[in-house]
Amino acid sequence: MDLIFLGAKAGLAVLLLVAGGAKVADLPGFTAAVALFAPSRLPRRLLRAAALALATTELALGGASLAAPSAGWLNLAVLALGCGFVAVSGAGYALHRDRSCRCFGALSQRRFDAAAIARAVVIAALAVLAAQPARAASVQLGLTARLLLLGCAAIVSVAAYTAARAIAAARDAQIGWSS
Amino acid sequence: MIRVPLYLAVAQWALLLALGVLVVLMYRQLGRVLSRDAKRPQLGPAAGSRAVTLPYTRAGDDHEHYFVPGDGRPALLAFVDPTCPSCEELVTVLGTAQDAGELSGLRVLLLVSDPPAYLDISAAFRATKLEIGRPSDRDALAAYRASGTPLLVAIDGAGLVRAAASVIRRAEVQAFARACLLPDPLAVLPGPPLPRASHAPAADGHLHSTEHAGESEAAR
Repeated sequence: MDLIFLGAKAGLAVLLLVAGGAKVADLPGFTAAVALFAPSRLPRRLLRAAALALATTELALGGASLAAPSAGWLNLAVLALGCGFVAVSGAGYALHRDRSCRCFGALSQRRFDAAAIARAVVIAALAVLAAQPARAASVQLGLTARLLLLGCAAIVSVAAYTAARAIAAARDAQIGWSS
Repeated sequence: MIRVPLYLAVAQWALLLALGVLVVLMYRQLGRVLSRDAKRPQLGPAAGSRAVTLPYTRAGDDHEHYFVPGDGRPALLAFVDPTCPSCEELVTVLGTAQDAGELSGLRVLLLVSDPPAYLDISAAFRATKLEIGRPSDRDALAAYRASGTPLLVAIDGAGLVRAAASVIRRAEVQAFARACLLPDPLAVLPGPPLPRASHAPAADGHLHSTEHAGESEAAR
């Protein structure tokens, strides 16, 4: 069972790193998605700050969760974030159906639809699995291993950022109004 | 013998998988970019074709309005999006040209596909005094072939498309404005009717004639 629990934990951590990196790369787009759920008079600076805060929270949570598997509170934080995804997906489906959610920045063109709710529920379910206790020997990492994992987390985030930037630049020239 | 904690092994595989997915995504995008020229759809309506009536909702107003070409007033239609940096440039340039009186006599309409809330994220869109609308009829919108943004369409007073292209520079906007104001060549040429020719302005403002096969974009 440890394999399943730890697989869910590592998988979610990497997912957060990719999502956070891609969101930072497409901050204007993600700000637009955040604006859908904010009061219409809210200043743009605040919306942008909120979008940046959400993206960096995902990055920080992903990195910390990956490098510190024995910290139980991180599992709960990831679970709370997963529940937040379900709530946002539900609200998006009800209020802004088929609008782009920018969940992975420019890496994907996911929209607020029924599939998005299903995906968010799967993420929350994985977070529940990840919160299950594993044997201490399985999650005991030395300082070197933690630092290496943090380095790998940074590489994955930068890779996601770069990929999202490149894809956004390519799409910028061929945005489909007709689609 | 070195014992690797189970979590470390699992995390390494997860990281490797993520990097692999990102590499595949990048190569897919690279493939699309390299083959884009062959598949690229035409941007904008054909010059010389007749522009179609376009219903739209005005920003901050739920009522439906209509852009009716051929009512005697030339028009510049700009298909733009607040999340597209080049579109912001075009909106700024259009505003500057409008303030300088370079677009006098023309109707200028910015058309966005995003919901009104998106306008708040762009300083250029928030600051502009130009009319902003959101097309409300997909069929009419399809006739404009707005397959990419920004797209500027120049329509003369008779409702004929004089130019359509992705432009952001002021000289280009000025050329489009001049193209709107030129008389219909068929109306001024003496003699028997000639096959209609289309005209696309260059950045220097001169017109270059090209053969045009279709008469009416709306008829398609």
